[in-house]
Amino acid sequence: MENFKDIILKTENLCKFYGAEDNLVKAVDHINLQIKQGEFVTIIGKSGSGKSTLLHMLGALDNPTSGKVWINGENIASFKEDKLSQIRRRKIGFIFQAFNLIPSLNVWENIVLPLGLDGKPLDESFINDIVETLGLTEKTKNLPNTLSGGQQQRCAIARAIASKPSIILADEPTGNLDTKTGNEVMSLLKTSAKKYGQTLIVITHNEEIAQMADRTIMLADGKIISVEKGDTLNNEK
Amino acid sequence: MKNNTVFTLAMSKLRFHKSRTLLTGIAIFLTTTLLMGIGTSGIAMLDMNRQYAQERSNYHAAFYLETSEQLAALSNHISVESMAAVENFATIINGKMNGFLSCYENVKNGLYFDNLRLAEGCFPEKEDEICSLPAFFERVGAEPVIGGKVTLSFRVNGKGELQTKEFTICGLLPDKEITSNIDDSRIAWGAYISKSLLESYEQTGAYQLSCTAYLRVYGEENLNYTEITDKIKATAADIGLNEEFITLDKQYLYTMTDPGTETMSIVAGICFIVILFSALVIYSIYYVSVITDIQEIGKLKALGASKRQIARLFFWQGSLISAFAIPAGLLIGFFLPYFLFPFILQALGRDALDSAESGYMENLTGKIHMFSLPLLLTVILAMLFTVWISLLKPIRMAKKVSPVEAIRYQENTGSKKLRKGHREIKVTTLTLANLTRNKRRTTVTILTMGLSCVLFICASAVLSSTSAKDIARRNIPEGEFRIALDYSLNDKEYPENNLENLVQQNFFSDAFLTQLSDIKGVEKVERAHGKISSSSDGDSALYHNNGEKIYLTFSYFTREDLQDLSSNLIYGDIDYDRMTANREVLCTHEYTFNECALALGDTFPLTLYDGSREVPLTVTLTALTQPDADYSLLVITEDLWNSLGLTCEPTTDIYLHVEDKQYDSVKKTLADIVAENPHFTLYSLDEEMRIGRSSVSLIKYPAYLILVLIAVISFMNLINTMITSIVTRKKELGILQAVGLSNRQLVRMLSGEGLIFTAGTLLISVILGNILGYLLFLYAKKTHFMSLSRYHYPLWETICLALILLIGQSIITLFISKKIEKESLIERIRNDE
Repeated sequence: MENFKDIILKTENLCKFYGAEDNLVKAVDHINLQIKQGEFVTIIGKSGSGKSTLLHMLGALDNPTSGKVWINGENIASFKEDKLSQIRRRKIGFIFQAFNLIPSLNVWENIVLPLGLDGKPLDESFINDIVETLGLTEKTKNLPNTLSGGQQQRCAIARAIASKPSIILADEPTGNLDTKTGNEVMSLLKTSAKKYGQTLIVITHNEEIAQMADRTIMLADGKIISVEKGDTLNNEK
Repeated sequence: MKNNTVFTLAMSKLRFHKSRTLLTGIAIFLTTTLLMGIGTSGIAMLDMNRQYAQERSNYHAAFYLETSEQLAALSNHISVESMAAVENFATIINGKMNGFLSCYENVKNGLYFDNLRLAEGCFPEKEDEICSLPAFFERVGAEPVIGGKVTLSFRVNGKGELQTKEFTICGLLPDKEITSNIDDSRIAWGAYISKSLLESYEQTGAYQLSCTAYLRVYGEENLNYTEITDKIKATAADIGLNEEFITLDKQYLYTMTDPGTETMSIVAGICFIVILFSALVIYSIYYVSVITDIQEIGKLKALGASKRQIARLFFWQGSLISAFAIPAGLLIGFFLPYFLFPFILQALGRDALDSAESGYMENLTGKIHMFSLPLLLTVILAMLFTVWISLLKPIRMAKKVSPVEAIRYQENTGSKKLRKGHREIKVTTLTLANLTRNKRRTTVTILTMGLSCVLFICASAVLSSTSAKDIARRNIPEGEFRIALDYSLNDKEYPENNLENLVQQNFFSDAFLTQLSDIKGVEKVERAHGKISSSSDGDSALYHNNGEKIYLTFSYFTREDLQDLSSNLIYGDIDYDRMTANREVLCTHEYTFNECALALGDTFPLTLYDGSREVPLTVTLTALTQPDADYSLLVITEDLWNSLGLTCEPTTDIYLHVEDKQYDSVKKTLADIVAENPHFTLYSLDEEMRIGRSSVSLIKYPAYLILVLIAVISFMNLINTMITSIVTRKKELGILQAVGLSNRQLVRMLSGEGLIFTAGTLLISVILGNILGYLLFLYAKKTHFMSLSRYHYPLWETICLALILLIGQSIITLFISKKIEKESLIERIRNDE
């Protein structure tokens, strides 16, 4: 834990509001957050507390109403859509609860998709290594709908790691899996992140997973209400 | 769930899936518009024909009478509703002018003739009174004013002594402008004189009754074509008139007695195709909507919805959309032709040969009856049926959805489990992966789009072959001018006009041809194949009419003609050398072949008329062909012809090729030369083109309208395909963007898909469309439909189609991807969750 040096992700007064006046919903309300390279952070909170919205804004999937997000020291608020897609495929790996694999592509193609979109040369040994680590070697030619939930999520993890992003964002990655598979997937995710030195931010409802993290942030009504384990962040309620 | 719950659910689904609702609505609306539009145009066309037929005159038949007893008997006949008698008093003698003097008498009221409506003055009553067109009076050198004097030379009954008389102009008919552009000999000029003049000649015995009685019989409203013609023939028989002395106004009778079966069956055929395609479009929208709604359907079933309720849910959606789209379509479909027809009429009027015709067209504008209640009801029923039939399969699919399966549902990729795939992914890989994911859907889409474009290409193939030039080329196959010999074959009264006598005068001598070649601007003068008169003593129906011997032209073909003759061969075979050796003959007219019940192997003992000399020749019929060029009915080989040792100059037609710049001056010179010989007729390309254009325009405009409608359906199909393929994959596209697909890459991927659809569509439509189009052309040519003669490849139409498809799909792709971009990525990923 003492190794945390650089801040890879930072937010400043990050807000996301929906609606107006009486119907105004503050999904994310002035959040200030700093996450260091290689850190494993979990975000917990009740349904509707703003976890997913926060994660989407951290991953350049959604635009904030106000406030700023820095990724690797760059403020992404000023970026155009093309630059944002570049950030998404180079710096960020996203894992969804519903796996969200592309049904027409096989497992291997799903994994190398972000690399292909970036026009990067394929480091096959690296991908093979991920595939092996995640136990998908036998399934590379399978189409997603022929895989079990656990296998699909492992494929999604492989996809998130493939382009060697510095940040992996996971939105309830075990939510659609049974406990045993969930634990298995989570430990694989953690191992891989560690192996490749990636920052891992996970939304979860699972206590056990939260326990594994370096730091757990609790959200309620779009605000951070507590931070456990870690002591290095500025928490402004 | 109660029924009103299903209704409410259907309503909310319509509101929720706005783009789908709009698409279905547009598809139903456009289909209704097309059906109603085509149907209304059909009704309007029928009514136009009816009015057009009535406009000129309303007589049923003309009887040629030779005795006053016949005239009296006819006017008192019980079947005759109304009648007018036109007595053919005399032939006007004035150079090449083709003129006659007649006397018009209204025997029984009820007939009208458009060309007899006076513009000024009155009909002749006194012996020296005359009325005609102003142009007629100008043509004979008189001033066309009431009270003006005109002196005419004429021969009573077209024979006997030449008489000259001064007339006073008492009436003027409305002027026609045709006279300035068409050669004199091709117009029949008529003038009307009084009954009293006629009677004065009759009393002295100088005039023998020669009368055309125009009449209507009772029962036009109730009788069909056959019944009314039988009635007319029976009337003729009653007064002792042979059938050959009556002429039916077939066009008028057809139009008035025909309930429009032919027009309506064409309309029904087009409508059937329209329904077929739109049913496919509507079906595919609902098919996709069931697939995308499968989870929702599963949830409804899990909540206890019965199969019937699910079915009703879809029916309600269909009915609610129809409730708006059908009435809107009916309105637009009715008013589109309502407003477009006047334009078509004007265009027809512009291209019409003479001003009278264009006048009719203009008069008709706004008077055409277009509304038909049965049509309205039929279209409504047809549309409800279309919507119902397109819902059947999707509903069956929806009924089968099991609640458990549904909630887990991922789009069906068939039984496929593995995909070979690629080691590296590019945007093109994504494009292809999506198209091959559901090969059946891709194929069906390309096929339906392709087929509707096939219709387009097919119709253009026929349309591009209706060319005014081809029609003109039938009269002037070579060069820019044709000088034709006017000849008869069977004229007993004036045998000097028969071909065998005319050829003796050697009109087209070498000296004459040299004279023509010397005209400044004439590049080449060539003779057409010579023709002579022939008759046969055999019993073939070809050379006999009602037991009487008839004469036909007889000619030859050269080795150069073989291609044209062989490629249009119907029966038998054409072997030039064998035909020469065995004295074989070729028939060049299918209709006559069938009509005269000819058969291959028939022998004809012929007499050929080489001027005054008679040459016997027995020939055997060995082939039937229907060539593009004009030939005599029976032709032998050139070698056989030459071996006959004919001595006359058999040329009946010559063609002149002239320099473009000198066209007008050559025409003038030729007109002067031709004017000197009463047996010559001059055909010039510009006049023939005008005639050709006027007959082409009758087909062209309605056909173009249909073509545009077909293009609209094809395009609707394209729009639907693109929109559904993108909208239904919104979530997937969102995921792709979440993992880094840029907007530019998205547009590239979607355009790639569109391009493949377009390429497939074009491939199918060009290949199939041209094959079918050519077959359709051959059929049309065979049945003499639309006066087609030469096939023209629809190059421009094909290029247009390719451009429209390419540009159209690019615009739609761009438009939809821009629209998608506006929606946030997150919303798209969550779509359907």
